[in-house]
Amino acid sequence: MKRVTPAGLARGAAVTAAGLAFPLLVTAPYLMTIAIFTVMYAALATSWNLLGGFSGYLSLGHAAFFGVGAYAEAIVFTHIGIGGGYRPFAMVPLIGLGVAVAAIPIAIVFLRVRGATFAIVTISLLFIVQLLAFNLRSLTNGAQGMSMAIPPFPVATYERPFYYAMLAVFLGSVLCCWIVSTGKLGLMLFAIRDDEDRAHGLGIRVTAAKVIAFCVSAGLFAMPGAIWAYYEGFIYPQFAVDPLVTIGAVLMAFLGGRGTIWGPMLGALILVPAQQYLAYSQGASQLYLIGYSAVFLVIMLLMPRGIIPSLRDLAVSHNPFDRPAGNGESKPSTSGVSP
Amino acid sequence: MNTRRNRFVVTVTVVVMAVIAAACGGGSSSSSGGSSASGKPLVIGISLSQSGDFSDPGHAAMLGYQLWADSVNKRGGVLGRKVVLKIVDDASDPNQAVTNYQTLITKDKVDLVFGPFSTLLTAPSARVASRYGYSFLEPAGGGQLVFDQKLHNVFFVQPAPTVNCGDPFVDYLSTLPASQRPKTAAYPTLDDPFATPIVERARAKLEALGVKTVYSQVYPAETADMTPIVAKMVAAKPDLIFGGTQSLDAYGIVNGLVQQHYNPKFLFLSNGANSAAEFPDKVGANNTEGILSCTDWFPELKTAGNAQFVSEYLAKYGGTADTIDGGSAEAYAVGQVLEQEAKKTGKVDNATIISTLHSGVWPTVEGNLSWDQYGAPTGSQLMTQWQSGKLVPVWPQATALAAPTSPKPPWGG
Amino acid sequence: MHLIVQAAILGLLTGGVYALMASGLTLAFGVMRVINVAQGAMIVAGAYVSYTMFTQLQIDPFVSIVIMAPAAFVVGVAVQLVFLRPLRSDEREELSLLVTWAIALGIEGILGIFYQTTLRATRPSYVNDSLTLFGYDVSVVRLAAFAASCVILVLLYLMLQHTRFGRAIRATVQNPTAASLLGVESNRVAAYGFGISVATATAAGAVFGMITPFNAGSHYDLISRLLTIIVLGGMGSLGGAVIAALFMGMSEAILAVEMSPTWASLWFFVILVLVLLIRPQGLLGTPERGKL
Repeated sequence: MKRVTPAGLARGAAVTAAGLAFPLLVTAPYLMTIAIFTVMYAALATSWNLLGGFSGYLSLGHAAFFGVGAYAEAIVFTHIGIGGGYRPFAMVPLIGLGVAVAAIPIAIVFLRVRGATFAIVTISLLFIVQLLAFNLRSLTNGAQGMSMAIPPFPVATYERPFYYAMLAVFLGSVLCCWIVSTGKLGLMLFAIRDDEDRAHGLGIRVTAAKVIAFCVSAGLFAMPGAIWAYYEGFIYPQFAVDPLVTIGAVLMAFLGGRGTIWGPMLGALILVPAQQYLAYSQGASQLYLIGYSAVFLVIMLLMPRGIIPSLRDLAVSHNPFDRPAGNGESKPSTSGVSP
Repeated sequence: MNTRRNRFVVTVTVVVMAVIAAACGGGSSSSSGGSSASGKPLVIGISLSQSGDFSDPGHAAMLGYQLWADSVNKRGGVLGRKVVLKIVDDASDPNQAVTNYQTLITKDKVDLVFGPFSTLLTAPSARVASRYGYSFLEPAGGGQLVFDQKLHNVFFVQPAPTVNCGDPFVDYLSTLPASQRPKTAAYPTLDDPFATPIVERARAKLEALGVKTVYSQVYPAETADMTPIVAKMVAAKPDLIFGGTQSLDAYGIVNGLVQQHYNPKFLFLSNGANSAAEFPDKVGANNTEGILSCTDWFPELKTAGNAQFVSEYLAKYGGTADTIDGGSAEAYAVGQVLEQEAKKTGKVDNATIISTLHSGVWPTVEGNLSWDQYGAPTGSQLMTQWQSGKLVPVWPQATALAAPTSPKPPWGG
Repeated sequence: MHLIVQAAILGLLTGGVYALMASGLTLAFGVMRVINVAQGAMIVAGAYVSYTMFTQLQIDPFVSIVIMAPAAFVVGVAVQLVFLRPLRSDEREELSLLVTWAIALGIEGILGIFYQTTLRATRPSYVNDSLTLFGYDVSVVRLAAFAASCVILVLLYLMLQHTRFGRAIRATVQNPTAASLLGVESNRVAAYGFGISVATATAAGAVFGMITPFNAGSHYDLISRLLTIIVLGGMGSLGGAVIAALFMGMSEAILAVEMSPTWASLWFFVILVLVLLIRPQGLLGTPERGKL
């Protein structure tokens, strides 16, 4: 069942190598900061895509899991006391696992509805988590936020541990997507995306498939949150559980091509450095909001399938028999995903 | 088929053009002062909230910083070096502030940094500065979060930590005869890094003074409607209402009290009521009489350089003394501290600044300041009161411009 | 007891305003399966415009409703034509969410540029007046806001029931294919329906601006409540939205007094989850149709 192609393996190896080598070549701290956020959003967009792109269930509240990951890290640090240094990193996979398991009941409830209702419900989840972060003051300190120990890393290579942690999560997310897409679960999700009722009628266990996708995606989405909490040192409810994090991840997945494996990463590579650069040189979050808004609208209206699928279409465009019918926004076919 | 290729090309072009246009279109704002200084410029990096939730106070801080830079450059700069401010916007986001300071220090290699607006942004930014060995003089991060980090490079340039806001009020009450003091108190508190600790501290002191707590409620920041809270508070009939507030909720509490026809004997609001221009506009000019608040600065205070600051400010920016936002004075004071440190030691490297400022008394428009080892100032805040439509400082008596009045007169309606 | 009734009255009045806000939202969904996440931003925009008209031109906010509504209608039709119609119908629901969210961000950004983040409040001379009815304090503004909302909702209902256009809308809500087979121009209905929903949003905004200080970022809070209300009431059902809004307004106000304000706002969302467990289509909604 698994379709392992040499080209796919080569792409994976190339990205891994480039990611590992980057900090050794580029040492300026401010560039490393941009790199950390780029890899973080690449991871977030990829794990969102596992649910949104593969199954068609667009979750607009995934930032809730990011926030839960961030707070879990801070809470473990503050209330249980794991110590500083490298130990907070060790908590990250455990947090991911914990969030994935905790997401099971949420998934079962939320996946009873579809389409726009599902999206609205996930937005509500976001606001519930934010409200809980504000109000469970004995646990989260409410609006006063939580802090973590100052990391003891040497100044010259301060960013490296965070970068590698984010890179590990990103590569893990890509690996998960690849395993899913080349396996039976992937076929089930694509079938659900195309026509859920028919898939159900054909005997596919749609609920199980959706719940697994939701929970894995949630767990993967939480892990960058935990690393981020340690990196920033301070987390506050309105910034840890922030709708703009979801919008960013969704935008990047859409830009690069949802339903593809490397699309979200491509989207992140384009948008994050641009946004970081603009934020420093331009500031004015109003312009940044308008910018997000404009880019999003342009993509939705002109290139709704994203860069990678559009590139693929261009590549085969000369053969009229390969051309999909319709005005361009037809659903990506099930074979349209390859590593 | 052409349509698909066209659309792809168009999209890419549009996105790329947008990015290029935005990149070319702007630059970070920076300011330099007059021309009578020579020598290598002294570049000071600052992350300010020029957009987002804190854009108004961030703007006030920027005016203060620039005013100081112009002023000191006219006097020959700092140690003969012209002061150049490099100000970048953090959009009121702590993460952006952290990134900004890191970039200012490691990419732009600024000589010094000054602090941003608000404790939320100051606390994580101070860490960045500390990591690179930079001193961190900051005008607006007075919450306990900042001092709890136990950093040695931080100096909060105001008379007292924000949490001490209620201290002058408690001191004043203790001078009143027992029959005039409030017997019962209500504590509506915003869930906020500033407001909550202020109320906790004040409440402990007031209870020690024998004032009974009849209502205490923390409400979330997004509470749109204060009326249910006010209703419940009014039902307990408190003599004193001590509110840990910011702006929105302070206005809501006052409006709610007016609508429900309840006039407490004492009304203290930690924030919102100390804004000379905004407060009467939001609650009605004839509803302000007798309301108490706290502040760190006042235009008519007789502090070091204050008269000159006010006149320079009005000359450069216009308006009247009442419209000067305290944030500008705070920022100006930061510059004053640096100027004096330079005069005293002849050096402006970060290590010298850090070691020098932990001892001694440093006069500024905010008062004569001194700090403990973690950057907390050791002085006292001012209590203000609205009297005849004007906001005046009334406590401590040494720096007051009028005597406090009590009890609070009825609502003007 | 007095306190609870007082809170219930307050909640009812607030709920009426929410009902007006939500009515446009549910109408947009019913007519063209579009979730207009920008409804909150449009409400805030309406608040700003009415605030500006009041402070610069001394126009009373209630009067400004009449002035804004036609302009808002035109804007709504334009938005529908440019941003929503090009979306393919089978993915329109989900994509409209994203597109309108992008529009909401854009509106927030533009408003922020013009007005900064200073909190504004429209304060006509009667803003703090209150009547005492049967021993309960009732703010004049809130009462007038409730009355205005009722009037507009009744007008909306009459239009839906008794005009040709209203029948066309209802037909499209029930079954778009059949409606267009019967000669209803679904494109035009969609455009005009969206225009009406934006017009009601700005009307609600004018009222909102008097009750609560607001700034460009206020739309998040609003839209989160409104979305919950229409899901609870049943997407596409005007009656459902009204009932849900009144219920939420009253229960939140009572809870704020009885328990605490912090848990009162959480209540909105807990109810949503419970409703989805029991009745995914909401109170008065129709069960989710499978794709044809």
